[in-house]
Amino acid sequence: MPGGAPMLDPATDGRQALGALIGASVGRPVALVNVRALSGGASSATWLVESDAGRFIFQRTAGDGDAGVPKLGVPRSVQAQVQQRAAALGVPVAPVIATTGADSPLGDGVVTGFVAGEALAPKWLRLPDYARARAALTGQCAQALARLHSAPVDHWADLSLKQGSGAELLADMFDWYLRLGVEVPAFDLAFAWLKPRMPSGPATCLVHGDFRSGNLLVDAEGLAAAIDWELTHLSVPAEDLGWLCVQAWRFGNWELPVGGFGTREALLAAYGGGVRADELHVWEVYGNLKWGMSCLQLADDHVSGRVPSVERAAIGRRVSEVAADLTHLIAFGEL
Amino acid sequence: MGHPTDVQLLEAVRLFLKEAEGELTGRMAFHAKVAGNALAIVARGQALQPDVAERAALAPWGGATGLCAGLRDGRLDPADPALLAAIRAAALARLAVDNPRYATFARLRERTIE
Repeated sequence: MPGGAPMLDPATDGRQALGALIGASVGRPVALVNVRALSGGASSATWLVESDAGRFIFQRTAGDGDAGVPKLGVPRSVQAQVQQRAAALGVPVAPVIATTGADSPLGDGVVTGFVAGEALAPKWLRLPDYARARAALTGQCAQALARLHSAPVDHWADLSLKQGSGAELLADMFDWYLRLGVEVPAFDLAFAWLKPRMPSGPATCLVHGDFRSGNLLVDAEGLAAAIDWELTHLSVPAEDLGWLCVQAWRFGNWELPVGGFGTREALLAAYGGGVRADELHVWEVYGNLKWGMSCLQLADDHVSGRVPSVERAAIGRRVSEVAADLTHLIAFGEL
Repeated sequence: MGHPTDVQLLEAVRLFLKEAEGELTGRMAFHAKVAGNALAIVARGQALQPDVAERAALAPWGGATGLCAGLRDGRLDPADPALLAAIRAAALARLAVDNPRYATFARLRERTIE
């Protein structure tokens, strides 16, 4: 935060402020029973809040993130606006209760209602209890995205969101690749293959930006909520659909390209038109390349000495997986 | 026989990490698992020498540097089957070391580019 004072910890010294924030929103004093840290990623941290007014989730942007790693997401206040409007469009999301600004003692955060569901994709992709959910999920994801994409860009015009054509997104990613100073033949192949194929037209809708199996809360009936909206931006519908098909989110279910649970044909049919199979293919190549860039970046964090970590070092070798995926996608037209 | 090779030392450390993993929880246990996998990668790399295979596959294209430069400045065509075959061979050589159980490894190996 700009002021330099350390952020309060919602589980200890920030607990009172968090309770007051939730109380102001529900319109009566709220007693917090338990505040527990759920996970701490590089860019955000999450707490489960139990109170006499029910359960909530508090999520905020982590301090300064890792030194040297740019923060990519939108401010939580913008994310909250997007989530509320997405809900109004019929997209299943966690209800927004309150937001805190980057200059508040709680940091740049958002409180949402707790939505029951399994967030660990390897669980809901495998366990028999979720068989009915998996069968319904392709249609539900297609419908959620179709609803989100149905609003014209004007609908989001008052929010400060990144926007650009596919060609611009690719050019930015290529600059990022050059900055890392590595030579991965399959990555250069993908950049060269994508260059004449990425659309140059302007954004036509808002995309979730990170719609993948790991960001779906799934219950016995299927999609309970799409979470983690911090990478939302203005683009074209096929970006979200292609990202959902990236190999890394299939968790071994490679025969089912849509998140490890569905087919592309079913996804496009349920989406209801507007995205062609060849367009989806281009964005799928782009999505796999983008995941590969994240692997390269995480490896660079370690190799450069910025963030020494066995996990990041090991992720660097996942670049080989993405190289094989990109080669298969481009040489054979599918994966 | 009393002098362990580098690969045998790696294997010993890998077994130790596996044992340690059982005594750890949460993030530390996860990192012990990741560290063990990293050692398995190093052991496979010692046996398979992926740099050698990659260099051989890419040599006709001026190595990785020449190939990447050619794709960046448009001299090389990303649809050229001979180029794709070279990139496929290089990718397979790397993945054989980094994660041979990855599904795309077998799929890419079984198909040839015409």
